[in-house]
Amino acid sequence: MEKNMKSIKLTNLEDDLKKNQIEIMLYPSKCDGCEGQEYKSCVQACETHMKEKYGKYNTARINIKSKGNKFFPILCHNCEEAPCVDACMPGARYRDNENGWTLTNYKKCVGCWMCVMVCPFGAIERVGKDHYASKCDGCIDEETPKCVEACKKGALKKIGIKNYSYERRLMIANKLYGPHLKINYNRYKNNSR
Amino acid sequence: MRYVIIGNSYAGLSCADAIRRFDKTGEITIISDESYKAYARPLISYYLEGKTTDETIWYKDDDYYEKNNYKTLFGKRVVSVNTSDKKVVLDDNESIEYDKLFIGPGGVPFVPPIEGFNAESPMMGTFTKFDDAKKMERGAKLAKHKEAIVIGGGLIGLKASEGLRALDMHVTIAELLPRVLGLALDEISGGITAKKLNENGIDTATNDTVTKINVDEAGNPTSVTMKSGRELVADIVIVAIGVRPNVGFLEGSGITIDRGIVVDKTMMTNIKDVYAGGDAIVSYDILNKKPNIIAIVPLACEQGRVAGTNMAGVYREYYGGMGLNSVEIYGLPIITIGLTNPNNPSQTVFIHQEDESVYRKLVYDGQVLVGAILLGDVAGAGILSAIIRQGEKCLKYKDEFLKGNIYSFVIDNEFEVYNINEGYAIRGDFEDLPQFSRSNWR
Repeated sequence: MEKNMKSIKLTNLEDDLKKNQIEIMLYPSKCDGCEGQEYKSCVQACETHMKEKYGKYNTARINIKSKGNKFFPILCHNCEEAPCVDACMPGARYRDNENGWTLTNYKKCVGCWMCVMVCPFGAIERVGKDHYASKCDGCIDEETPKCVEACKKGALKKIGIKNYSYERRLMIANKLYGPHLKINYNRYKNNSR
Repeated sequence: MRYVIIGNSYAGLSCADAIRRFDKTGEITIISDESYKAYARPLISYYLEGKTTDETIWYKDDDYYEKNNYKTLFGKRVVSVNTSDKKVVLDDNESIEYDKLFIGPGGVPFVPPIEGFNAESPMMGTFTKFDDAKKMERGAKLAKHKEAIVIGGGLIGLKASEGLRALDMHVTIAELLPRVLGLALDEISGGITAKKLNENGIDTATNDTVTKINVDEAGNPTSVTMKSGRELVADIVIVAIGVRPNVGFLEGSGITIDRGIVVDKTMMTNIKDVYAGGDAIVSYDILNKKPNIIAIVPLACEQGRVAGTNMAGVYREYYGGMGLNSVEIYGLPIITIGLTNPNNPSQTVFIHQEDESVYRKLVYDGQVLVGAILLGDVAGAGILSAIIRQGEKCLKYKDEFLKGNIYSFVIDNEFEVYNINEGYAIRGDFEDLPQFSRSNWR
């Protein structure tokens, strides 16, 4: 089933990516927390990149949380009407209409933790020492987000907005109906050509 | 279409943005009684501390109003609203006609009758506006004994004290309740907070209040007399008891007011084409299940957006909100969500405490989480507020939550993102999946 999901494209992926509406898709079941490694590769890649980009505001924007043998990458889901933008008192967090990402102006952030309080994904981290709330910016000025580049397990994937939405629905349908779900993949393939 | 927006802050601007999203050409006029462009009001204490400056306190970009084509009328107060002629009357007798009106006047500080209080004095006042902060900055330089009294130990009071302390004043908070942040915190967390304040040069006089302000011949304070009989030296006195909806100017307009402005699901008042939002309205409280005034930033933005969308002709409903608050006191983060001081016998409380640094409290109503206090470690607080908002059954996770493993709920259930354009939610047990809609994600 997963093989099939990978091969299917609802819209032309390249066109979708060109529109700059890029999302990072999670496949939590594939994440193993970089077993046996000293660092989690996505976390390390993010930290290095953030240091170059933001200087002082250099904490990793991605976080791997674990329970038993289950791992889950925690990062920004880039909500359309983001609760963190609503809650931000200084107006540091805003939605960039051009690339569709929810971004942060760290110079304005005062550390009131309103966004930490409202983020339903727990994707915003309080950095108490330097007094700012760090959140993923989707590496909008990079070709591929650094965490995606670093992940060798395929738990993170760069994807255009239409495909993101489609794959999400497929994942949920899969979960609900499991093996009973049969999709005529060829039909979609023919349509897209 | 002529849209008029009273109030140039969170609710008003979020309303203007929502209108502009659907109506690119309509004329939008924003009226404010302050002469500044929109600034981050809750941040005035950070301004005194130097954490935000004259450059960074502004809420939006410099070209925000021009870029979105908003007309502005700053420094003009609305004296009345004539809903039959669809006119707003300003203090210079000018009247502005509207097709759709949004009222987001926010709150005004409530000052109880205290003998000797005079807001005109440069050393006395309230603490809600940028001008108040600038006044205190000047006042602190004139102070002889470097002693300040803050009446009220709520959020504004605490923030005002922190600001004054940063101006090198010794501050005493007079609070009538037995603890600071009395409505949001409980005894233990209030105690930890008070200790943190005391360590940093802010005294807390709880179960006590100021009965009289003694003034010199110029009208400036010299000392205060407390209810307990003590007399404290005071150069500066700030009254921070709380705020009330700023609805005085709506008298005679026909708009229903019950403490605050009464609105329906679409944020419309009882009068057609007149909408309201923000700290001045009574809106649905999903935890207490009744209309309530909840004066917090995230709800103001959401209410403004719902109102603006409806004003532009696109139907949208407001789901309701709940009380949330987040504050940091000298490096100690405190987040309170929902009902934190239960008085209902069906509600049970679970507490976890690690010394003076970490404190967690969960309030359950049966299986459902209805309130939480997180102090010291706030990671994952948003997940708890989402759970509380959705009314998830999660009693079996109480030990994990108390230990701080809030993410374990997420890992067990996994996030289910529905269509990204239609909002999202955390999935709980499949049988009691709540209704998903655009507006109920928070």
